[in-house]
Amino acid sequence: MSAPRIAQFKLVLLGESAVGKSSLLLRFARGVYEDNRESTIGAAFLAQNVRLEPDLVVRFEIWDTAGQERYKALAPMYYRNANAALVVFDLLSQESLARAQSWVRELRVQADDGIIIALVGNKLDLLNQLKAESPNSSGKIGISEDAKSYAAEAGLLYYECSAKTGENIEAVFKGVAEKMPINEYFSSQEEEQQHAVDLGASSSGCAC
Amino acid sequence: MSSYSAREATRRGSVVPPLAGVDRPVIDTVPSKCDVLICGTGLAESILAAALAWQGTNVLHIDAHNVYGDSNMCLSSKDLTTWIETVANGSEPTGMNAQFYVSAPGNSSSRAQRFLFDMSPHVMFVKSDMLDLLIKSRVAKYLDFKGLSQFHTYESDSFEKVTGNKEQIFTDQSLSLKTKRKLMKFIKFVLEWTIEENEFRALSNIPISLYLEKEFELEKAQIVELVIAIGLCDHLDVSASYALPKIRRYLLSLDVYGSFPAMYSMYGSSGELAQGFCRSAAVAGATYKLGVQLTGWDEQSNIATLSDGSKVQVAEKAFLSPTQPSPLRPLVNVDQFADEDINQNVPQGDGSGDLGSKNKNANTIYNSFDNLQRLKGTKYAANPYSSAYRGITSRMVAVVTNECKEWFKDGESAAIVVFPPGSLSTNNEYAVQTIVYGPGAGIVPEGFSCWYLNTHNPDKQKARDDLNDALSKLESSILRESNLGHLIGSLSGEDIAYKHGAAVVSSVRLGESMQNFVPQKRLNYLFKLAYTSPTSKGRKFNKVELQPVLPGSDTLLSTLFAPGEISYDGIVSQARKLYESVVGSDDDFFDVDFEDDEETEALDPLEPIDPIDSMKDTVSGSPDHPAEEVMHMEL
Repeated sequence: MSAPRIAQFKLVLLGESAVGKSSLLLRFARGVYEDNRESTIGAAFLAQNVRLEPDLVVRFEIWDTAGQERYKALAPMYYRNANAALVVFDLLSQESLARAQSWVRELRVQADDGIIIALVGNKLDLLNQLKAESPNSSGKIGISEDAKSYAAEAGLLYYECSAKTGENIEAVFKGVAEKMPINEYFSSQEEEQQHAVDLGASSSGCAC
Repeated sequence: MSSYSAREATRRGSVVPPLAGVDRPVIDTVPSKCDVLICGTGLAESILAAALAWQGTNVLHIDAHNVYGDSNMCLSSKDLTTWIETVANGSEPTGMNAQFYVSAPGNSSSRAQRFLFDMSPHVMFVKSDMLDLLIKSRVAKYLDFKGLSQFHTYESDSFEKVTGNKEQIFTDQSLSLKTKRKLMKFIKFVLEWTIEENEFRALSNIPISLYLEKEFELEKAQIVELVIAIGLCDHLDVSASYALPKIRRYLLSLDVYGSFPAMYSMYGSSGELAQGFCRSAAVAGATYKLGVQLTGWDEQSNIATLSDGSKVQVAEKAFLSPTQPSPLRPLVNVDQFADEDINQNVPQGDGSGDLGSKNKNANTIYNSFDNLQRLKGTKYAANPYSSAYRGITSRMVAVVTNECKEWFKDGESAAIVVFPPGSLSTNNEYAVQTIVYGPGAGIVPEGFSCWYLNTHNPDKQKARDDLNDALSKLESSILRESNLGHLIGSLSGEDIAYKHGAAVVSSVRLGESMQNFVPQKRLNYLFKLAYTSPTSKGRKFNKVELQPVLPGSDTLLSTLFAPGEISYDGIVSQARKLYESVVGSDDDFFDVDFEDDEETEALDPLEPIDPIDSMKDTVSGSPDHPAEEVMHMEL
């Protein structure tokens, strides 16, 4: 069996602080939901893989906002060359959807034109629980419908998932991975690598 | 907020604070407490923020501007317009003499968005404390680097490519065997570096040109190349002890990552690095807010007031960058810097702050620092505001409608061009250094290039004249070289004019074949900007004494002016100095155990990868495996 080809893309996470962006990321990264987590994700970002075909892996380099979104202090560096963005909201919070919409607008201004944006509703477990508790409720529970129609209108991918149970998390990343410009990646790769400096490839081995 | 304090962190050794905030509660106002407040997101301050945050200190980092970088900022066209207005309003250092020229660029709006303007362009030598720090701190992972191998010297109206390594010396047919042997001897001496400490110290009194001439019998052309191009020194009379390490830096940097001595980060230099360190600081728990300035400081309570109305109790130290606007003190006056440098003496303040000069008001604060130092009996040389440590850097940025490929090595998108002293029609006393970026650098779109010129002549007007002359030399050179491409096929009398007398330009690629032809066609400037910045001089700042922003205060300190060099020399030293002033020592500066090293397992492509169940998180890279696959993400 030959080694799979790996296509690497940058993915950024956005959304209001309480929607569970990091939990979602951790769920994807580790397959574990830590209820009361104290994470040490380290200095850079997570690199995560999604196998699309037996011999094709999409590797996401996932950038967390690191809290810099709190006062709108996200640097241009954050958006630069991002291939994908997950804009996360809380399926039970209208306000978080409004924030998500403003992040989408921000992405349209700051990010590259070709960026794939997925609107991701988190806390599906809570939503389902509420629905189960009041099966005959005539009132609307959650904001799925609003979010779905907004996503369709704005041309976004749309997912609902639960970072807590892991439900649908895989589908989110797999769905985004399928939209990545994989062929372009491989065709531009050779040329790019000639020009970029690989700091891991010091010939004297003493750069650090 | 994080409950870590500097003291606790010191006791615990290196700690990794919890991942900052994405799922912490939203806070609308800035925290009411912090250990260290830093005002200004210049590169040295950003390194400080990251070093402190990773050490466990609770950092609040703000900037008066809406973009990161302070004097190192990198601006979009839109931000640039704002900046120019700010300079015009006087809320940037005064006396910058910013001059701005834009051609009528037609459909500029969409195109112009893709331009970036680096206010303090830098290139990075491969062997440098900055690159070591970028790798160690993992901030390098946020950046894309490209190699820069072409160092051109402009001499006798022609561009010469620098003969920087042994191979080039051997193959350079313009050098005599005798010259080659002497050059090789010198290069061997620099690389082996067996010089004794006291012998080296004695070299501080010997001009490098004299030293190379007497000790190594090198000729003028080689001396100029070594000192001005390879060493990037300002003139030939800098001391041998200053110049030799700079020459050595170039030679040591060759062939580490490739056949280039220097690299540049894409999308901007120091401003991009500053963003990276700020992000690193944020990951470690630092809080960021832009567009807010320090408006008040209570020395008794250590409470800072910010322009958004919030009050912050500072537990340990607060820093204010000298280039950040704040009503606490007047802004720097560049003219004063320049005048002092020209006179080669220290400010003559008599305690009243009245110098009888036209810049009286702006002078006051520095006079008060100077006087304070005298009263304290501190050595004058340790005052970062003395002319030993500060100067001015005059810069010019031009975006032209030509990609300048002729100056780059194939596959590269940047080059250095230096104009040695005396090589310009202005008979320049100081070298003019130029970084040229082509479309591959992420700074200009296809069809353009960006030229960054700078010089350290302390006379602002002379500096400006030198820059203008260097610009016109660059212009005629690139016109000649790019026109030659059309020459063979479609030469018409209108394209080229004949110039009588001395040759005007030639080039490394074209030799002398076209020296007598000058094209009539002019280069189009999309835009041109000239300005003068206050900057620091020197590489080592460990001996400077940080000055209080307000006389008598010992908690609110001023940081240092960013160094004016195009290398990153001096910046890490400044950051260490600032760090030391908080922690007491710089021993544990960025001594971070990222704790995830044991989890860092390289992806085995043969292992089946299931997206959810068996996922191993490979936090990209580690000190042991720096930046393996991360260095290039742009697609």
